[in-house]
Amino acid sequence: MSVRRIVAALAVPLAATLMVTGCRAQESTAPQTGKEGNKVDFGVTNEPCPEAIDKSKGCIYLGTLSDLTEGPFKALAVPITEAQKAFWKTVNKDGGIGGYEIDVTKYVKDNKYNPQIQNQVYQEIKPNILAIAQTLGSPTTAAILPDLKTSNIVAVPASWTSLWGVEDVVLESGTNYCMEAMNSVDYAVEKMSVKTVMAVHLAGDYGDDAAAGAKIAAEKRGVTFTDVKTASGQDNQGAAIDAIVSNKPELVILTNSPTDAAVIIGQSAARGFKGKFIGTSPTWNPGLLQSAAAPAIKALYLQSGPWQPWGADTAGHKKMREALGSVPQKNDGYTSGWVWSYPLKAALTKAAENKDLTRAGLLAAVKSLKEVDYEGMLPEGAGNYSGAPNDTVFRQSEIAKPDDAADTGVTVIEKMFTGPTAKDYNFTKPCYQ
Amino acid sequence: MSELVQSLVRGLGNGSVYALLAFGFVIIFKSMGVISFAQPAFMLAGAVIVTYLVTGMNFFVAVLVAAVLVALLGMGVERAVLRPMIGKPVFVISIITLGVDVVIRVVVNAYIGLDVRPLHDPWQLDTVNLFGTEVQERYLAMFITTMVLVAILFVFFRYSRMGLAMRAAAFDQEVALAQGVSVGSVFSLSWAIAGALAAVAGVFVSTGAGVDQQLWIIALKALPVIILGGLDSLGGAVVAGLIVGVIESLVGTYGSGIAPWLGGEFALVTPYLVMMIVLMVRPYGLFGTREVVRI
Amino acid sequence: MTGTRLRGRPELYTSYKQDMALLNTSGKRVFVVALLAVSLVMPFSVDDDILQLLATACVVAIGAIGLNIVTGYAGQVSLGHAFFAAIGAYTAAVLSGDPDGRVLGFGVTEMPVWLLAAGLVAGGFGALVAPLAVRLRGLYLAIVTLGLVFIGQWVFREWDEVAGPPDIGRPAPIPTLFGVRIDVDGEFFTRVQKLYWMMLVLLVIFAVLARNLVRSRTGRAFAAIRDRDIAAAVIGVNLARYKMIAFAISSFYAGVAGALLYVIPQTFTPGNFNLLMSVQFIAMILIGGVATISGSIMGALFITLLPRITSELPAVLPFISDSATGGGITVVQVEAILYGLLIIGFLLFEPRGLYGIWVRIRNYWKAWPFSY
Repeated sequence: MSVRRIVAALAVPLAATLMVTGCRAQESTAPQTGKEGNKVDFGVTNEPCPEAIDKSKGCIYLGTLSDLTEGPFKALAVPITEAQKAFWKTVNKDGGIGGYEIDVTKYVKDNKYNPQIQNQVYQEIKPNILAIAQTLGSPTTAAILPDLKTSNIVAVPASWTSLWGVEDVVLESGTNYCMEAMNSVDYAVEKMSVKTVMAVHLAGDYGDDAAAGAKIAAEKRGVTFTDVKTASGQDNQGAAIDAIVSNKPELVILTNSPTDAAVIIGQSAARGFKGKFIGTSPTWNPGLLQSAAAPAIKALYLQSGPWQPWGADTAGHKKMREALGSVPQKNDGYTSGWVWSYPLKAALTKAAENKDLTRAGLLAAVKSLKEVDYEGMLPEGAGNYSGAPNDTVFRQSEIAKPDDAADTGVTVIEKMFTGPTAKDYNFTKPCYQ
Repeated sequence: MSELVQSLVRGLGNGSVYALLAFGFVIIFKSMGVISFAQPAFMLAGAVIVTYLVTGMNFFVAVLVAAVLVALLGMGVERAVLRPMIGKPVFVISIITLGVDVVIRVVVNAYIGLDVRPLHDPWQLDTVNLFGTEVQERYLAMFITTMVLVAILFVFFRYSRMGLAMRAAAFDQEVALAQGVSVGSVFSLSWAIAGALAAVAGVFVSTGAGVDQQLWIIALKALPVIILGGLDSLGGAVVAGLIVGVIESLVGTYGSGIAPWLGGEFALVTPYLVMMIVLMVRPYGLFGTREVVRI
Repeated sequence: MTGTRLRGRPELYTSYKQDMALLNTSGKRVFVVALLAVSLVMPFSVDDDILQLLATACVVAIGAIGLNIVTGYAGQVSLGHAFFAAIGAYTAAVLSGDPDGRVLGFGVTEMPVWLLAAGLVAGGFGALVAPLAVRLRGLYLAIVTLGLVFIGQWVFREWDEVAGPPDIGRPAPIPTLFGVRIDVDGEFFTRVQKLYWMMLVLLVIFAVLARNLVRSRTGRAFAAIRDRDIAAAVIGVNLARYKMIAFAISSFYAGVAGALLYVIPQTFTPGNFNLLMSVQFIAMILIGGVATISGSIMGALFITLLPRITSELPAVLPFISDSATGGGITVVQVEAILYGLLIIGFLLFEPRGLYGIWVRIRNYWKAWPFSY
């Protein structure tokens, strides 16, 4: 092959590539000036949102990375996403923020609860969004965390692991699994005077976090603690049931999926177990009240939660019910999606007051938030993001019991409280580490 | 003692479900030489259909209707997607069934909705006294139903014309074709039977807690079962299903006491470990046909 | 015999050496050079998100080439590729991990070191598994190797010191080359651009090595085993030895791919190395083309880019609502269904894979303007 042909072979594709070089989006680092004198960089446009209410306003795009088709948390992820749409629509109806409306519908991506897919869809939407309105799951969020930090992107997590309490870019709400379990153990020790506690949990941040909290509380209260790891899947609960039935703990802290929990509760009860169960919020699904395990669940099960369920009587809950209207199946995924959106709204409002709606500006606004108005859905004092983790972490949770008449199958029996263990706990790193 | 009996009954119950699923895999393998990865989707579909039907009719009728519907689905998939692939490499066909699985499962998931769907089965978590031990009725129901279904199928293969045709086709497709066996209808029927069995298995696994999206994973447990029993042995599928069920249950019950360092999830890998050990001794599974090697 | 080329007769070979050369026709030479040139300048023309997908595709292609060596060339179907990838990933991550971090790490961040180690350890495990392949065949072997995936997942879920908490995982290997970290934004290039080049160069290296392997004595032995193992044994191919070599090399590639796969997302969990990953590798070589190196690469590109393609499709098709969670069938569901349908459709209409299409196109142009 002659040199000329090599040159020709190289020249054609090179020329072609150079022609399309312009296509590569220039990562503009220089902020521009947007509406009402706000400094903006990514994900904020002067053009109105696709579904704008007021066409004269600009648009702030927020991304959503959730488990929408095949993953294990679809039943929570879909209502969370719907509730967030309703939340931001309400914000837009009330006039938006700083001359902008907020869009959470254009950049919704399915992460299938897979860290790799999460990373890909995140990269796909990253240039077009200011912040992330929802990133569902802990392993998935962990997969984008380094990039969130370097890019100053604020993200609202849809999970309650205590890891988020120590990360600035993650805008968590309410307490975490760890302190929720502490409060549950404290509650059981005080109200039911239990002497033995067992944590039955999945491996990983969710189960391990709650088990760590239960263990800390058990040690503090001087009750016996045992720890049983279990796998997910209805026919994989045999070992856990055997452990419960043979050890006969007076309290079992459950961190599982709803169907696995139903199998454990139903079959332990069938084999004569009389102790109590307290499950963390993702362990519950209203459908369990129709299952074979329903009698056992009603007799033995209590449900802890980081905030009150769908039907609670607060201004925020009421607003949420009105905004969502008639939903096909009431589910506390809606409640969570709604609650999680408040701090991002507060941060955006604050950033707009500072006239800085850049990513860095939003992060600075988050760091200066001392309190967020959750309209009663979380008590006063919630939503502190400035300071050391031990000062900012929120420690209250509630306890509810199964109830056929309630909208999402549970009614609160103990309103938001902080147990002595959680109160004294020095929170500097995730509990399970 | 009672712990042992309970563990055994649970193992036999779960094992029967594996046996049903494995039976479906083996029927398809015998007729087409393919492992169908669509079985998990059929299983999930069966369970979900029952949860919808059961509000309007008797549970057993609902199961029957669901089994027929999934059987039709299986036939449809075979006719539309797999028939054109006859003669193509078996692994290509297996990957196609994987695509089928994704499509069916996404559609079925959409019907599961937000809440766990209750099954309203007659057994619930009721127990019955067996030799002085309380055991759950549903495990006995699984075991008995499976044995009855398997017996019916064996009679069918042994004595009916179509059964004979299926055996002939499995033995040698071309010769069977030459003898006037409609190999196409053999394929069709294999998929129908596999679909129906998967649907029944799906119903059984969702007794107890109801249907959620993660149910399909259980169908994968049939993979070590079919290898353990021998890929082309229907009897092997049943025996191996029960063996795997019982071993898994015993390890779950006693494993954490004997060797706690193995962790709570060890029971999940025991089917594969048993399979590997047995294959070291018998490379074609317990009852599989030895391949005749000829130069 | 050393051949000399005749002027004006480029397709006339006068020696075996010319016939067996890597790029034995001028068409191939031009095409490969052009393709390389386009690949190299790609980072200047596409956005980082696409570039990241392409970089992932390069890594996955290394794994697919590995699987093609054992499955395509040597005929031993393995569903255990994800297991070997996991071995490689954890070897590399442990070697390069932060010694003071909360998971095991030795701080050897030099990429060639951990990459080689990952390959060697995975290859070692491959050699250990090979005796299974001597005893088992076909689907039996496939399912037994699948067992490895489940066992591997269980081991790493239990082994917290190495793999981290099961659902949080551990940091991925850190790539530094001669003391310079590659995975950070530089003055001129972003991390994705740099990583893409690194993955591309590695892919080229491993592809050329594999291509050389399969046209060697070993490669011919593989093909003989695949076509009829007894016959191969009769003509003097040592089955145990060559099956072990095939598994070791294939696992080496899997280990390398596993080590590189999570450099971009920077974190990984034991759950990543599941049945789906193994099956996707199989799908890649089937869709790309069995027993072809270029097919493996094309298959890897296809499977990696497919989710992105399906996510763009609904925007083009007007009858699908673009609501992600509303009533009826939603965009994300359509994407998932399309993914399944594309795999089905592709294999239905082109069972020989992308390589088959390529060969048809090539033959068409070879004879152009005549149809055959």
